[in-house]
Amino acid sequence: MVEATHMIEIPITVEIPVGPQHPALHEPLLLKLYADGERVIKVDVITGYNHRGVEKLAEKNSFYRDIFIVGRVCGICNAVHANCYVRALEYMLGIDPPPRAKYLRVLAMELERMHSHMLILAVTAELAGYETLFMYLMKDREYVMKAKEILTGQRVLADYMMVGGVRRDVDETKISRILDMVKRVEERVKYYHKAFQEDITINRRLRDAGRIKHAEVLAHSLVGPVARGSGVKTDVRAQDKYDAYGEIPFNVITEDYGDSYARAMVRFGELYESINMVKHILTHLPQGNPVPDEKKLPRRFPVDESYATVEAPRGELTYYVSSSGSDKPYRVKIRTPSLNNIVNSAFAYVDQMIADVPVILGSFDPCISCMERAIITNLKEGTRYQVPLKALGGVRK
Amino acid sequence: MKPALIKEIIKGIFTKPVTIQYPKEQTVIEPDFRGRQYADLKKCIGCSLCAVECPANAITMVKIPDEYVVPKTNARRIYPVINYFKCVFCYRCVTVCPTSAYLVTNDYRLASSIPIDSSTLSLSTITGAGDER
Repeated sequence: MVEATHMIEIPITVEIPVGPQHPALHEPLLLKLYADGERVIKVDVITGYNHRGVEKLAEKNSFYRDIFIVGRVCGICNAVHANCYVRALEYMLGIDPPPRAKYLRVLAMELERMHSHMLILAVTAELAGYETLFMYLMKDREYVMKAKEILTGQRVLADYMMVGGVRRDVDETKISRILDMVKRVEERVKYYHKAFQEDITINRRLRDAGRIKHAEVLAHSLVGPVARGSGVKTDVRAQDKYDAYGEIPFNVITEDYGDSYARAMVRFGELYESINMVKHILTHLPQGNPVPDEKKLPRRFPVDESYATVEAPRGELTYYVSSSGSDKPYRVKIRTPSLNNIVNSAFAYVDQMIADVPVILGSFDPCISCMERAIITNLKEGTRYQVPLKALGGVRK
Repeated sequence: MKPALIKEIIKGIFTKPVTIQYPKEQTVIEPDFRGRQYADLKKCIGCSLCAVECPANAITMVKIPDEYVVPKTNARRIYPVINYFKCVFCYRCVTVCPTSAYLVTNDYRLASSIPIDSSTLSLSTITGAGDER
């Protein structure tokens, strides 16, 4: 009789779909979790629920119509999308907008960064189970939305950028009203910053959730506040100094630890920087006419290609525009930060609790409508996919 | 470590709600908010540039009914009709118009059970058979 020397235990994994309806934010994304007990051992990120074909649409429309179409790629960061595209067109045409227009562009983009960061901080609180903080933050976000309405004419979709400048000017009353709004927001942001630092719920849920190390950020090419939360000092505003960012003083905020809490703190730091920048812009606004006459802009574009990059609230956003000499672009390629941050970050969920998955996803600030212009095929396909036992070896001991 | 919002919550119980009871109480909006816009047919020359430039394809050029008196500059007797359900309110039509014919309002209330467009508003800017009576 042969005695058994080994007992092979096969770990039982449970497949849990998180999403595609409302995984963390109200946007469609499927995180397929393989869990062993309460621990996540593998995550498949499955995208493609919101593909709208914006790049193809941009090829079918004229250069100027595209300014408004690319603004609708993402609702939250529409001004940065339009700014990036408009600057790509300006590089082709050799137009340099007047200084006042550059300052006003930065103003619109920083107001946008403020409301975007306030939104994701509020959602982070909600995902951690703290809905009261969510409600209060969203209440005070209304001040920023109002400031954006005063500046651009609409609360969300700014449609503010135009080749050679911006589409409307500000007067003294508007400047003082925006300043007033921003000062009120600053007070409230200080209060919420303190609440995030002191509150027991937030600290227990966010600390150590989804920690990403410095080297992992570089290996997976993560961008934006996610990278800065792990101590990688990357910011296109400081590196490229587009528009008026070269003249406006600001700091690049970084945190070292790299967990969800560090990412929230980076966003708070950037909120303060944005508030200071808005104040600086409104008090140092150059004179001149920032509004170009849209009737006199060139209709045709030279045979050329150009590439522009911008720091969106979620990270580096790039546009590549190619012109074949007609009134329509030959190709518009958009690369958004969420594509990097969400598709490449599946490793961050491994060995975390199932309950922490929404918090970690929330801390990446996903913008699904932004990222889903690309078809991702290199992910593991097919819903019947079984995890081979080999793959489990070494993960769970 | 402590629950940080307690003071704020207690204060919130005794203050007025932030929510606006919308139909009874109107939302306060800016006078230059980008709302419903329509063409002033006294100035419109029927050049169709707004229809060409509209990113949402919301503008169609329509023949002005025969009973209306049309300025001589609009020889083709056509005018732009904006489908407000399609319109994204970017105001590209307003800024590209060569005769600055567009009139802008800050009217944002567009909810309707029947399709709404700018034809009634535009035709009210010129005199027609109905007005002469």
